[in-house]
Amino acid sequence: MKLKFLKTLLASSALLIAGVASPAFAQQGVTAQEITIGALGPLTGSTAFIGAPSRDGMQMAVDTINKRGGINGRKLKLVFEHAFSPAESVAAAKKLVEQDKVFALVLASGSTGAAAAADYVRSVGVPTYNLFGSTPVIREPFAANVFHGAVASTEVTAGALVAQLARAGEKKPQRVGVLVGSYAYPQANLAVLKPQLEKQGVALTLETFDQNAKDFTAQLVNLSRNKVDAVVVLGSFTEAGFAIKQAPQVGLMNVRWVLDGSAVNNAIIPIIGNADGIRGYYNAPYYPGQNAKPMEDFEALWKTTYGTPPQGRPNLFDIVGYGSTFVLAQAIQAAGNDLTWKGLIGKWDTLKGAAPSKMGGFDVIYPETFTPKDHQGNKLLGATEVVKNKWVVVK
Amino acid sequence: MTEFALIILGGLKFGSIYALAALGLVVIHKATRTVNFAHGAFVLLGAFGAFYIQVDKSWPAWVAYLIVPIVVGIFSSAIEVVILRPLRRADLFTVVIATVFLGVVISEGFRLTYKAEILAVPSTFTGAPFFIGPVILTQDALWTICGAIVVSAACIAIFRYAKAARGMRAMAANYRGAQLCGFSVDKTYALAWFFGGAIAGIAGVFAAPAKGVSPELSIIVIASAFVAAVIGGFDSLKGAIYGGLLLGLIETLAAAYGSSALKSAISFLVLFAVMLFRPEGLFPEAKKRHV
Repeated sequence: MKLKFLKTLLASSALLIAGVASPAFAQQGVTAQEITIGALGPLTGSTAFIGAPSRDGMQMAVDTINKRGGINGRKLKLVFEHAFSPAESVAAAKKLVEQDKVFALVLASGSTGAAAAADYVRSVGVPTYNLFGSTPVIREPFAANVFHGAVASTEVTAGALVAQLARAGEKKPQRVGVLVGSYAYPQANLAVLKPQLEKQGVALTLETFDQNAKDFTAQLVNLSRNKVDAVVVLGSFTEAGFAIKQAPQVGLMNVRWVLDGSAVNNAIIPIIGNADGIRGYYNAPYYPGQNAKPMEDFEALWKTTYGTPPQGRPNLFDIVGYGSTFVLAQAIQAAGNDLTWKGLIGKWDTLKGAAPSKMGGFDVIYPETFTPKDHQGNKLLGATEVVKNKWVVVK
Repeated sequence: MTEFALIILGGLKFGSIYALAALGLVVIHKATRTVNFAHGAFVLLGAFGAFYIQVDKSWPAWVAYLIVPIVVGIFSSAIEVVILRPLRRADLFTVVIATVFLGVVISEGFRLTYKAEILAVPSTFTGAPFFIGPVILTQDALWTICGAIVVSAACIAIFRYAKAARGMRAMAANYRGAQLCGFSVDKTYALAWFFGGAIAGIAGVFAAPAKGVSPELSIIVIASAFVAAVIGGFDSLKGAIYGGLLLGLIETLAAAYGSSALKSAISFLVLFAVMLFRPEGLFPEAKKRHV
C-alpha cells in the first residue's frame, strides 16, 4: 500500500515537473518542431496592394529564417488569411486564433481591418503585431498584447506631412489645400492633421473625394479658385496620381504636392508622367529602387523568389511585411523556451534595436525598440521626394 | 467664367469617354436586342491593350488606336459565337446573366493575372497646353474630347452607310423582316458584336490614360455607359453620344457646385428621372412613317 502510494506520488511529480519544464508545448501554435504565426490582410479588392505584398514579404522572411535553422530549432510557419472588410477582419482574426491556433497574430491590413480586429485581439490576449494600422482604435487604450511596427501613429505622420510642406530654409506656404478621401483612413488622418495645420496659421481649403475617384475636376477647380500654394493629399496613390495628373488641366500649376505615406508608391509615377518634386514621407529608410545595399539585396531576393515584379512592386508593404517578420522572430527568439503568450509579450516588451540583419535579413526597415509602456516600435519617418522620376528617401 | 469653362472641359473629357462606351452598348443592342453587361469588361480589355502596346512593348500610341479595336472586336465576336449563340433561343434572363458573369470572369481574370492595383498608361499627347484666353486646354484633354467624338461620329457613319453594316441596319429596323429578306442572323450578330466590341476596345484606349487599367474600370464604365445610353434613348446612336457628354457635364458640375458625393448620386437621379418621365430617352431616333 505504502509502495503504491509512493509510485503514484513519483508519477504525479514527474508529470508536474515535465509540465513546468516544457510549458512551450502547452501554448497553442507551438510544437517541438514548429511555431505557427497567423496574419490577415486584403488579398483582393481595392486595398489588395497592402495585403498581398505583406504576405509575400512575410513569406520571404519566414523562408530566410527557416533556411538558417529557424528559431531556437523550431521552424516558423505562416498562415495568411484574406480579410478585406471589417467583418472579414474580425472573422479572420477569430479563425486564426481559434481554429488555426496561431501563436502570434500579425495585422497586415490597413486601419480599417486593424480597427475591426482591435476589440477581439485585446479580449483574447493573443500577442498581436499591428503593421499598418495608424488608427487610434487599435492603439488606444494601450493594450499589453498589441505591438505596433513600422507605421507610426497619425500624430507622428501628420507632423511629417506638415514638415514636408516647408523644409528647412523654404518659404512656408500661406494657403494650403487638403484633398482628402471620404473613407475611414484619410478621414482619421485629417482629424489629426487639420489642427496641426491650423496651428501653423495657414489658410485651409478642404476638398473631399470618394474612394477610387479618378476625376478631380471639381475639387481641383476649387483649390485653384482659392489660389493654394501647396496641396496635401490624404488618399491612395491612384487617387493622388490622377489628381496631380489632372491639376494642370484646371490651371493648378506650380504648387507643392505633399502625399500621405500610403500614396508614396512607385506606381504613382507612370500615372503622373513627370512627377519630380512631389514629396511625402516614408516608413522605411530606403525606397524600392534606391541605390542602397540593403534595398538592392532585398529586391534581388524578391525577384529570385517571385520573378519579374509587376508595376509598383515591391512596395512599402512588401518591405514592412518582410522586415517586421524578423522583428517578431527576434521577440520569439528572446522568449527562449518560455513560448507562452505571457513569455513572448514579456520579452517583446524589452526588445531593443530589433532589425532584420540580426537574423540574416536585410535592413530595409528602421530598427524597432519597445518598452513595457511604449509599444510603438518605430518612430522614425523618412522624408521622400521624386527626383528624376524616382522616389528617394532624402533624409 | 474661366472656372466654368474649365469645369465644362473637364466634364466633356470624361463625357466623351462615356459616349464612346455607350455607343458600343447601343450598337450591339440595336442590332441584336441583347444588352451586353460584359461591355465594361470589353472596355477594360481595350485599356489593357493600350497598356500592353504603349508600356509593355513601348510601341507608339497610334498602334494601340489601330490594333486594339480590331483585337477586342474579334474577341467580342468570338464570345457571341461560342457563348451567346447557343443561348439565342434561351429567355432574356439567361442571356443577361450570361453577359453579367462573362464580365465578372474577364475582370476577375485580369485581377488574378495582374497583381498590380492599377496599370498606368501615359497620356497620348503630353506637350504644352493651349491657352484660349485664361482657359487652359491640355493636349491630352483636347485629344480625348475631339478624338472620341470623331471616332463616335465615324462609327455612326459606318453603321448608317457602310454596305457591310446593311444586315445590322436591317435587323435594327425589323428583325423578322431582315431574316425574310435573306440576311443571315449568324453573320449579322457576329458582325454586330465585332463592331460593338471594337468600339468598346477603342473606348478603352481613350479611357486608359485618364482612368488607369484596373478591374474596377469595367464596373465604372458599364454603369456610366448604361446611364448615358438610357439618357440618350437606348436605340439611338446619336443619343448615346449626347447622353455620354451630358452625363459627364452633369457629374462634373454637380461635384463642382454641389459635393463629391452628389457626383455619383446625380447620374442615377438623372437615370430614374429619364426612365420615369421620358422612357424613350432625351434624344430618341426620329421615326418616319410613310403612309
